[in-house]
Amino acid sequence: MNAIDASDHHERVDETVPPSLLAIVLDTNPHAWAHLSSTLPLATALANLLVFINAHLASGNGNSVAVIASHSNKSCFLYPTPTPASPQSRHSAANGDVEMNGTADNTSYSVQDNPNKYRPFANVETAILSNFAKLMEGTKESHLAATPTTLIGGALSLALSYIAKATLVNSPTTSNTEEAMLAIADPEATRTSYVSLASRILIVSVSGDLANQYIPVMNSIFAAQRKRIPIDILKLAGDTVLLQQASDATGGVYMKPERPEGLLQYLMMAFLPDPTARRSLVMPSAGGVDFRAACFCHRKVVDIGFVCSVCLSIFCTADLPDNLCLTCGSYLSLRAAESNPPALIPRKKKKKKRVGGTDSATPGGSTPAGSNTPMHA
Amino acid sequence: MSASSFQALDYLEQLPVQTHRKLYEQPSTVLAIFRCMLPHLAKSIVMALLYMPTPFPATDLDAWFRAESTQTKRGAMFILEKLHIIVQKQDDARQLSYELYPSFASSLRQALEGSGSHRSFGVPSHKTEERRVSVDFLDSYSQRQWENILFYLVGGTVGFRNAGGQDIGSGTKSLLQMAGFFNHGRITQEGFTFVLRDTNAQVWSLLVAYLRNAPQQRMSETDILNFLFMLGSLELGQDYSTATLSATQLQMLEDLAEFGIIYRSHKSASTFYPTRLAVTLTSDAGALSQGAGSATGGGSTAKGFIIVETNYRIYAYTNSLLQIAILSLFTHLRTRFPNLVSGKITRRSIGRAIAYGITSAQVIEYLDTHAHPQMQKTKPFLPPTVMDQIRLWEYERERMETSQGFLMRDFTSEISYKEYVQYAKDNGVFVWQNDKQRMFFIDSIEVVGAKIKRDRQKTRA
Repeated sequence: MNAIDASDHHERVDETVPPSLLAIVLDTNPHAWAHLSSTLPLATALANLLVFINAHLASGNGNSVAVIASHSNKSCFLYPTPTPASPQSRHSAANGDVEMNGTADNTSYSVQDNPNKYRPFANVETAILSNFAKLMEGTKESHLAATPTTLIGGALSLALSYIAKATLVNSPTTSNTEEAMLAIADPEATRTSYVSLASRILIVSVSGDLANQYIPVMNSIFAAQRKRIPIDILKLAGDTVLLQQASDATGGVYMKPERPEGLLQYLMMAFLPDPTARRSLVMPSAGGVDFRAACFCHRKVVDIGFVCSVCLSIFCTADLPDNLCLTCGSYLSLRAAESNPPALIPRKKKKKKRVGGTDSATPGGSTPAGSNTPMHA
Repeated sequence: MSASSFQALDYLEQLPVQTHRKLYEQPSTVLAIFRCMLPHLAKSIVMALLYMPTPFPATDLDAWFRAESTQTKRGAMFILEKLHIIVQKQDDARQLSYELYPSFASSLRQALEGSGSHRSFGVPSHKTEERRVSVDFLDSYSQRQWENILFYLVGGTVGFRNAGGQDIGSGTKSLLQMAGFFNHGRITQEGFTFVLRDTNAQVWSLLVAYLRNAPQQRMSETDILNFLFMLGSLELGQDYSTATLSATQLQMLEDLAEFGIIYRSHKSASTFYPTRLAVTLTSDAGALSQGAGSATGGGSTAKGFIIVETNYRIYAYTNSLLQIAILSLFTHLRTRFPNLVSGKITRRSIGRAIAYGITSAQVIEYLDTHAHPQMQKTKPFLPPTVMDQIRLWEYERERMETSQGFLMRDFTSEISYKEYVQYAKDNGVFVWQNDKQRMFFIDSIEVVGAKIKRDRQKTRA
């Protein structure tokens, strides 16, 4: 029939958006936050982050969230509240996330019955605030004096393992544990059936100089890359080569706001859209990414280093003990490589050593490699 | 966004701007609209604008979107503007910019921050009643009430007596008639559409009918909508105080209790419990599969329960009389076991269903929504042969198509005939033509009639 029929043209395509899991890694390094306190106190940042979490939860009905604190002496979950391992902790709650704190009747914290607040928001908020308070109370002076940096590597691994678990639990056939095991064994084959959960990681970072965790962080980045989990970076202070590479390798957003006070607006505009929405939006990225690596021996960011021909470990110096690779133990005669260097390299290297890497040839070279977080004792 | 919230969205869209303004004063309503009604991309736009201190220039908005997704952006903006969420502004330099409607923005902010003193997310009752009811009780209560309604619709056609269930109230009956689900003691085609949907969609279509009916009952639509959206944000198993409700909302309590959407211990109780039907009002299919699915047919049918084989045999793991009744509308059921019925889809059974006014799409949708988890492993859930055959059986009965309209004939010349045919085609009213006999058929006379008049006047002049 060639008649024009207006009534049939209003069929709408039901584009189902997969629920998205947002794992937030919050850098709670006390030194760095003390340094930021004049522009953006930690309390304000946390309040902004809570609004952002609520906005994320509101953006999709299946959306869930996990918050991990990367502190100076440990990394731990702020939400969901971890409980000592118990066999029946796999019940999922209203938000569809793996409840590490069991079911809702767990009263480790009390949610006030506030008629002005949406209950799921209130639950998340109370849990985060109480766990955060616990974390801060547990921080001793000795912990602070021990290190000026933060354990981002551990926090990233926690986030990744949580996402992996949530993805399995969220898959359509959850009841069958045998299949879940199969999925672990063979992630490639079963990928099609497990795309149901779109996960991403957001790192809110304030500390500089993470080069001492180069290896664990790099491993996490590769794991995320393989699992197609974008890592978004919000860099409020300091700068690290490592996190730039993380967002670049995994296709995440990288942002270093000029004015950290406007944290909420940055979060809402750049970090809230989930992978589905990002397909139609132009997202900010790192631009020129600094691809320099950190050496395995002294954890320094190097422009040019020596690479083990067997395991690809990177060293900043040719003076290896017994000429053996520190990682795999193979024999390396790096000295021979050094004795006959290409003409250009030594000059560049000298320059870098003198000025602390401020004028390197790599893009994004304005980032000081060794920008240590200042100590606030 | 699930299919079920489309109906609510359709309803919301056609409300006048004043009603929208009134609605947006309630944070729980705004949050529910944001969560369930808006397309995915629109949510991103709203959130980006929410804490923006200045209006967002239209050029920046265009720059934010990739070139290839302008179409989706336009769709999202269209809905936002239709719901009066976003306002277009033009500044002195004639630059277009967008901002959120102020009361929508402030309500959404309040909802996200949990600030303000609007008490719109339900006031929990603090009285420790000794007769608190359990979640299980609420589930069975809402299930019973809702199944009664469905059974009232279906039972008569299939010839089942409602075993154990009581009759539904007269208010519900008149509402079902008003909604066009039930007429002259028989279920209508819309009624079948209603019955074959998933529970959430059923609840919404009944509530939309309720809303349309509201002005006649002297009830305020705004109050009803606010209350419904608030119900969606409540917690199951908690009792809430009725003290903050308006007169309309108190009136609603009774009706909703009859639908099984809320529970009250007695008619003048000072508290009410939302049931699972209520708390899933503003959530998606995702929450439905765990929740409201169980409301339709007992524990065994909590998820999907129907297995369809490529040889057209159907196995349904259910003992719910309602589900069996619905199945028997379009299948030839043969055996019944304590937890299982089995049967076959035949040409005859589908033909009978189509004679009732059920379409093949509805049958397929029903089987699809209730497919057993084992079936859900494959995509599509149902065997393609079965789906195609059901459709073919429907087309078999549709060899003839009737359309009402007007036959134009007795044209004096070939030229004027051609001209009129072209004119009818251009205006989209053309249906059929026969060049030999110089006649054609149109489904509306207005435009062509006007042209004839004009031409006659011209020839006369």
